[in-house]
This record gives sequence, C-alpha cells and structure tokens, in this order.
Amino acid sequence: MGFIELRDVTKTYRKGEHVVTPLDRVSLDIEAGEFCVLLGPSGSGKTTLMNLVAAIDRADSGELRVGGTELTKLSASALADWRARTVGYIFQQSNLVPVLTAYENVELPLWLQPLSRAERHARVSLALAAVGLSDRAEHLPKQLSGGQEQRVAIARAIVADPPLLVADEPTGNLDHDSAEGVLSLLERLNRERGKTILMVTHDPRAAERGTRHFRLDKGVLAEGAEARR
Amino acid sequence: MKLLRLVVKNLRRRPMRTLLTVGGVACAMLMLVLVQSLGAGLDAALSGSEAARTLIVYRLNRYCPQTSFLPEWYGPRIEQLAGVTSVLPVKVYLNNCRASLDIVPFNGVPAERLAGSRKFDVLDGDYGRFLAERDAALVGRSFAERKNLAVGDQFRFGGINVKVAGIFGSSEPVEEGTVVTHLEYLQRAVAVNRLGTVTQFEVKIDDPARAKEISAQIDDLFRTAPEPTDTRPRILFLEHATRDLREILRFAELLGLACVAVVLALVANTVAMSVQERVREFGVFRTLGFHARHVAALVIGEALVLALSGGALGLGAALAVIRFSSLTIGAEGVPVSFSTQPELIVRGFAIALATGLIAGLAPAIRSSRSEIVASLRSA
Repeated sequence: MGFIELRDVTKTYRKGEHVVTPLDRVSLDIEAGEFCVLLGPSGSGKTTLMNLVAAIDRADSGELRVGGTELTKLSASALADWRARTVGYIFQQSNLVPVLTAYENVELPLWLQPLSRAERHARVSLALAAVGLSDRAEHLPKQLSGGQEQRVAIARAIVADPPLLVADEPTGNLDHDSAEGVLSLLERLNRERGKTILMVTHDPRAAERGTRHFRLDKGVLAEGAEARR
Repeated sequence: MKLLRLVVKNLRRRPMRTLLTVGGVACAMLMLVLVQSLGAGLDAALSGSEAARTLIVYRLNRYCPQTSFLPEWYGPRIEQLAGVTSVLPVKVYLNNCRASLDIVPFNGVPAERLAGSRKFDVLDGDYGRFLAERDAALVGRSFAERKNLAVGDQFRFGGINVKVAGIFGSSEPVEEGTVVTHLEYLQRAVAVNRLGTVTQFEVKIDDPARAKEISAQIDDLFRTAPEPTDTRPRILFLEHATRDLREILRFAELLGLACVAVVLALVANTVAMSVQERVREFGVFRTLGFHARHVAALVIGEALVLALSGGALGLGAALAVIRFSSLTIGAEGVPVSFSTQPELIVRGFAIALATGLIAGLAPAIRSSRSEIVASLRSA
C-alpha cells in the first residue's frame, strides 16, 4: 500500500459555460520517502492534483488516500487538522505574512499544536537553522531577498515535521542561485529526513532533482522516461 | 492570545486607516456618552426621595424664576392648612432661564428654617458659621465639585459675593447643584430690591396621597390675589421645568443612534477593505491547517479591537469632558448635572462590543467560507 494512493480521481470545475476536467480518472501510487516531480503544460491539472493530495481541494469522484487516511470522507474541520499534522505546503510565491517576522511566520503552524513556548522556540530555531536563516529570525519578509523568503517558507512547511511536502513551482520566481539553494534544501529534506515530496515544476533542472517523474496532459498521466520528454 | 497579537499587527498594516476608524468610533462614542450622561442626570434629577411629599408653589403662568414673585406672607397662610408640615420660602437667582451649560443657581432661604424643611448633611465646613454670617453660603456637593470650591473660598457671580461656609450632600440631586444663601442677603443683593418677595415656596406635606388636594387648596387661597399661584408636587414641577430639555434629549438620542449606525458602517467598511486585501493570506492560513473558525475569529477580532479601542477612547474623552469642563445644563432654573454612573460605562462598552461583533460578522463569514484554492488564486 503506497503512502499516496489515487484511484480513478476526477475533478471538474466550471469556467463560464464550460465544464473543465483537469483530472479524469487519474490513478497513481507514491511510496513514502519518494521525491516525485509533476510535469506538464500549463492548465494540465498538475496543481489541481497537488491540491487534492494536500487536501485543500476536494475530488468529485474516486478514492484518495494519503498516509492511510481516506481524504474524501473527512469533514472540512477534520481536513484542517489533517493538513496541520501531515502536509507542509510550499507555494510558488513565499506567501509569508508581511506583518510577522521570519521567526513568527515559521511559528504559525505550531500555534495549532499543544506546545509550550519553549517547545515552539526549539522547533522554530531548528527549522530556521535547517534553511540557514537563524540570523534572519527577526527580519520582516520585506527585509529578506526572494531566495531567503522562499527558505523561510520552507522552514514554515517543515516546522511541524509533516511527513509530506508539496511544492508548487517553488523556484518559479527565483534567480538561478536562489533556485539551486531551494532545490538542494528539498533534496536534503528528502534524503536526510525521509520527507515524501511532490513537486510541480516547469523547470527541467528542478525536475532533475526528483527520483520519480509524472506528466499530466489532457487528463492522462504518464510516468518515467515518457514523462520526462 | 496569539491571535490577538496577530490582530494587533494586522491593524498596524495601515496605520492611517486604523487611526481614522478608531478616531471616528471615538467621536461617535463621545457624543453618545454625553447624551446618555445627560439623560442619566435628568433621570437622577427627577428621582429625589422627597419629591413625592414636597409641593412647589410658583407664580401662576410664570416659568422662569426671574419672573416669579410671590409675597413672603403667603408662607404663614399655607402653613395653616391641614396636612402641611413645613413651608420654606425660596428666592431663586440664576444666570440664565434658558437652556444653559453653565447654570449657577442660588437659593436664598431663611437660614433658621432650612434644617427643618430640607434634608441635607453638611459634609465639610461649619453649619453654625453659615447661620451666623449673612454672606455665608452652603454649597451643594456637585456644584462644589463642578466649580472646584472648598470651605473658606469666596466667589462672586452676577454681582453676588458669598463665602463658602460648608458643603452639603442631599438625597435630592437637584439640590446638590445649588448654592444656599440667606434669603434677605439674596433679596438685597440682586439689582432690583425684592425684599418681601420670594420665587417659590417649598411645602412639605405629611401624606403624599393628598398632594393633589392640598395643591388645590393652596391655589384656592390666592386665586383672587394679585399674585395667583400654581402648586404642583415637586416631581411634576421638575418634569414641567425640564420638558423642553427632555424633548431635545430625545432628539439627541436619535442622533446618538445614528452615530452608532455610522460607527457600524465605518468599522464594517474598514474590516471589509482589510479582508479584501488579504484573501490570499487567509487561504495560506487555511492551507497551514487553520480552521475556518480561526479565520473568522481573526476578522471579528479586528472589528472588536477597532470598536473597543475607539469606544474606550471616546468614553475616556467623554468622562474627561464631564469631569473637567464643569457642565451642568439648566432648564427654568433646574440644574441637571451630567451623570457618569458605572452603568453608563458598561453600556458604552456593550455598545462598542455589539458594534464590533455586528460589523465583523459578514466579512468574517465570507472569509471563513471562501474556498482555499480560490483564495490562493486571488491577487
């Protein structure tokens, strides 16, 4: 049984008068600890698939199981708790809260957990150290570079120690050096901490970092060498 | 607590907008509290414990103390009526018969009869000195506070110069706003010598149930005299004297309600704008595992902090205005103080709280119900 299992998952939405089906009976299995890359042209449903796995969107039909939990059967409230425990989401833009310092941004997910102030401090310090930004803890997002912001966002995604990281084009807005730093960080998290990673990207260099590759095109999911063409 | 910290930080994103909203709430609250404190003062003025067994004999068809002149000899005649326990002739002198925010009412009475007719306690000073010195005065507690007077002080108003011999407290709020002097001293002190005449008689009766009957008897005594009388229980006299003020107050209360509506719109608009700017941020919060109720609490928290901080500021300003500006409104010689009871403060905060809750409700529901993916796509 895989860590992530999709069985005939379909997602549709309305765009004006048309019904769009970005995911049409998609099935896949991902084992724990894999670094998977989702490729495909714009509008092919990559982000939709990732959002379903991260439980911020709901499938219209099919089965979707992550870490043994059937997500399609959970209430909105239970899904929120599940997300807090299980998923770290890295956005294309860092999406940090501008009025909070780097430390406070990283601390946010821990507000939802029954931890003491000292425990929260220890975890945030560890997460900031992991992304190499301990010395920027008291800086506001506007005082950080794009690459630093994205690293703070990664620290926020890992601070609660979730088993799954999903990343939606995490290097899309970064220069080459910053992108390299972020990708190396994700690679390390996968290799050293065993995080399962599902990353959407258009960038072939970023895709090279993955251990498994999927391509989505017009609702059809292909895998392996065919996906990387 | 953590959410509150975030609420405060969010409000500091747009300091000018927050400041203007808080300022608007404070101004509205200031007006509302002033109107309500005047209403409370008016209620207090009409709530004296002696009001039911006290009749006021006034000159018929006169409404201002400056125009009511009754011969002093009416007093002994009234005293002879069955059921009357005491009669106190009172000469009222004041600066303004119309609605005024700084009324100074003098009550000239025969000093030796004062203690037998009015219930009061000398809180500070010497009652004997008041009896002994013709230019001495007993000053009501609220008047002394308003004018910052102490025993031994001398003050002059409208050509009348008096020394404060004592400060008194009374169960009649209206009396606490007056200055009591010797009758003859006041009669002689005013520009036109009015020796032998008084403004009104305060008649105490033994049975409040007979108030109407005794009032009619008094008016019958002087029906054909050159100065006919109009006698009413004190409560009706006060109600009649303050009727214009009550009408204005009723209108002001409507304005106060309009202020609450304006505040509601102001806070709701600020919160709605703030929420509009942070749709994506709320999506991020939900993605991190925050529940819809956390987002709703964040939005309502912002509305509450705006309304309550503005409310506190306005309330504080109103209390300061009342405390330091010595306001006492007068109507036909009846002084009505602005009353700042604890209930008023509680009511002010309750209104601010309700305003914040109502103003934040719609944006809170909208934000918490938004789909996460749609929120994240928002610009």
